[in-house]
Amino acid sequence: VQLKSVQDVVCASAPDLQRLTGLSNSDVQQLITAAAAACRRHPPITAQQLQHGVSGVRLGCPVLDRLLRGGLPVGGITELAGESGTGKTQVGLQLSLSVQYPAEHGGLGAGALYVCTEDSFPIKRLHQLIGEQVCLRSDVPADLVNSLRFSDHVYIEHAADLDSLQVCLTRRARLLLARGLVRLIVVDSVAALFRAEFQADDWLERNRRLLTFSSMLHHLSQEFSTPVLCINQVTDVFSQSHNSMGPSSSTVSPALGLAWANQVMVRLMMRRLQGMVIRGEQSSALRRLEVVFAPHLARDGQDTAVWTEGLRGVESWTSNRK
Amino acid sequence: MQRPVSSLPLSQAVRLKLGSAGFQLTSDLQDFKPDKLSKETGLSEEEAVEVLKAVKGGGGGGSGDFSASLTALELLQKEEELRSIVTFSSQLDESLGGGIPVGKITEVCGVPGIGKTQLCLQLAVDVQVPQCFGGVEGQVMFIDTEGSFLLQRVTDIAAAAVRHCSLLAEDDEQRAATETFTVETVLSNIFLVRCHDHVELLAELHLLPDFLSQHPKIRLLVIDSVAFPFRLLFDELSQRTRLLNGVGQQLITMAINYNIAVVITNQMTTRIRDGQSHIVPALGECWGHAPTIRLLLQWEGSRRLATIFKSPCHMETMVQYQITPEGFRDADQSEMPQSKQPRMDTDQSAADPKETSS
Repeated sequence: VQLKSVQDVVCASAPDLQRLTGLSNSDVQQLITAAAAACRRHPPITAQQLQHGVSGVRLGCPVLDRLLRGGLPVGGITELAGESGTGKTQVGLQLSLSVQYPAEHGGLGAGALYVCTEDSFPIKRLHQLIGEQVCLRSDVPADLVNSLRFSDHVYIEHAADLDSLQVCLTRRARLLLARGLVRLIVVDSVAALFRAEFQADDWLERNRRLLTFSSMLHHLSQEFSTPVLCINQVTDVFSQSHNSMGPSSSTVSPALGLAWANQVMVRLMMRRLQGMVIRGEQSSALRRLEVVFAPHLARDGQDTAVWTEGLRGVESWTSNRK
Repeated sequence: MQRPVSSLPLSQAVRLKLGSAGFQLTSDLQDFKPDKLSKETGLSEEEAVEVLKAVKGGGGGGSGDFSASLTALELLQKEEELRSIVTFSSQLDESLGGGIPVGKITEVCGVPGIGKTQLCLQLAVDVQVPQCFGGVEGQVMFIDTEGSFLLQRVTDIAAAAVRHCSLLAEDDEQRAATETFTVETVLSNIFLVRCHDHVELLAELHLLPDFLSQHPKIRLLVIDSVAFPFRLLFDELSQRTRLLNGVGQQLITMAINYNIAVVITNQMTTRIRDGQSHIVPALGECWGHAPTIRLLLQWEGSRRLATIFKSPCHMETMVQYQITPEGFRDADQSEMPQSKQPRMDTDQSAADPKETSS
C-alpha cells in the first residue's frame, strides 16, 4: 500500500496508516480527518438551502411537461426506452431545441450534444422542427423564438463503438460542457453499442463497460448540472417470472438488464397504441409516454402524437381511438 | 479488571515495545505516569498517554469513548427507551415492532423503482415527527450517492406528513407542536451531502462522528445508496470487501455511540447458481453481515411487497405497501385521509383510456 494522495489516505485503514507512517494513533486520526476534509466537495447543507426551480429541461408541450413535472432532472440519467418507430429520436430532437430557451421558458440557455450510435443524424427532421418552433412554442414570444439560432447549438457526434463513445464523452463532451456551450447530452442509442459488441458469455465484461460508461455520464451530469438522456431499445419478455423488475404485464422490457437499470434515475417508455389522431390535414399514430420509475414522478402516462412541429400530449377527448 | 496488554486497542509497534519492556497485563501499568512509562518502554510521551487511556478504557482518537460495560438488563431498558422511527405504513411498522430501530443498521434492498428512495425520504420526514405525536423529534443526515434526493418529492412527503399531524392534533400540546412542525422546518432539519464516488463517501463517513457530536439531535443517518459508488470497484474486489467491512464497522459504532438509526439502501444483482439466474442483494456475502435488519422490497405481479429477511428479533414477514403522492404508505390506505389525487400504483393497464394524469 502506497500513500500518494489524500484519496489513498481516506481509503486506507487506521492500522495500515500507523504502520506506514509510524505516527501515533491520535496523529493518524488527525491525518485521516484532514484528508477527508480535503476530499469532500461541499459541507452538508440543509434541504431548505437547496435551490427551488432549477428542475431541468422541459419538452415544450405543457401536457407532457405536466407528466414530467418540469422536465428531465439534472444530476442523473434519464432513459427513454421503446420499440423502434415509437418516436424516441423525436423526443431527443425536441429536447435539443427546448434546452436552448432561457430558464424562464423551460430551457437551460445552452445547446445540446447529440451522440448518434446507429443511424445517421436526422438533419432534415431537425430543420423541420426548427421551422415549426413558433408553432410548437406558442407560450414564448415569437421574436424570442426567431432570435435563437437553433442549428448552431446542436452539436452532432457519431460514435459507432464503445471506444469512440468513450473518447467523445471524455474529450468533446467535457469541452463543450466546460465552455457552457451545451447543457444537454443525448445518447441515441445505448443499446446499440452494448448489444453488438459482446457475446453472451462476455456479460461480465459488458457489465463493466456499462458501469464505466454510465459512471462517466453521471460525473458529467453532476459536475456540469446537465440532464442526460439515454435512448434505449427493448427486448421481449417471455414470461412474467423473468420480469420481476417491474409490475407491468407488457411483452417488452428495456434492454441491457438489471446492471443498466441500476444506473438509471428516471425511466420512461414510449409505446405505440392502436389508433390514430386526426388534426386538420395531419394525422399521427397514437403513442403513450409513460413514467416507469422516477424519484419525483408518479407511475403514469400520457397519450402522445407526433406532428410536424414535434411531440404533443393528446388530451383524451381529441383522440380517435379504435 | 486484568487484561493482557496485547488485547488493548493499540498499534502493533506500541504493543511490541510494551511487551519487550516487560508489561504483560494491564495491572502492570496501573500506577504509571506517562513520563515514567515512556522512559521505561521507549515510547513517546504521547503514545504513553494513549496507552494509559486505553488501560482506563477511555478509547482513543476520534472513535468516541467506550462506555463502561452494561448488564443485559440495562441494555434491555436502554433499548426499550429508544423509540423507533415510524414508516407511515402501519403494517410494516407493526412487523418491525414499532418501526425502524434506533441504534441499529437497517438495510433496504430492491430493484430500481421499487421504492427504496421513497422509503428513505419518508423516514427522513418521519424522524422529525414531534414527540407528543409519538415521534422521535430528531434531525437526519442524508447521504445521497445517486442524485435521487429531489426537492420536489421531499416537499410532497413533508407536506403530507405535516397535514397528517395537524389533522390528528387533539390536545393543546399537539396543537402547539403543529405550529413548529411545518414543511420549512422539516426541510431545515434534513442535512444533505452528495457523494459522487466511494472516496467521497468514505471521507464523509470519517467526518461524520464530529458532525454528529455537533448536532446531537440527529437520530437518523440515511445512505442512499451504499451500492452505487462501490459497484465500480469491480477490479479490486478484495479492496472493496475491506472498505465495506470498514464502513460496516463505522456505521455500527456510530449507531450505538450516537444513538441513531442507520438506514442504507442496496441494489440488486444477478447471480448464476446451478445454471439458474437469481436476483440477490449486491455487494456480496460479507456485506450481508453488516446490517442488523435487512428489508427486501419486491414486485409480485402489480403489488409491492416488503419482506424482513434478516433480523435477530423479527420473524420473516411480508407486508404489502404502496407509493402514493403522499409517500410510503400501507396498501389499503384506510387510515390515511383520502387524497384527491389519483393513486400512483393501480391495477389498471397502461393503455386504459380512463387513466389520466392529474
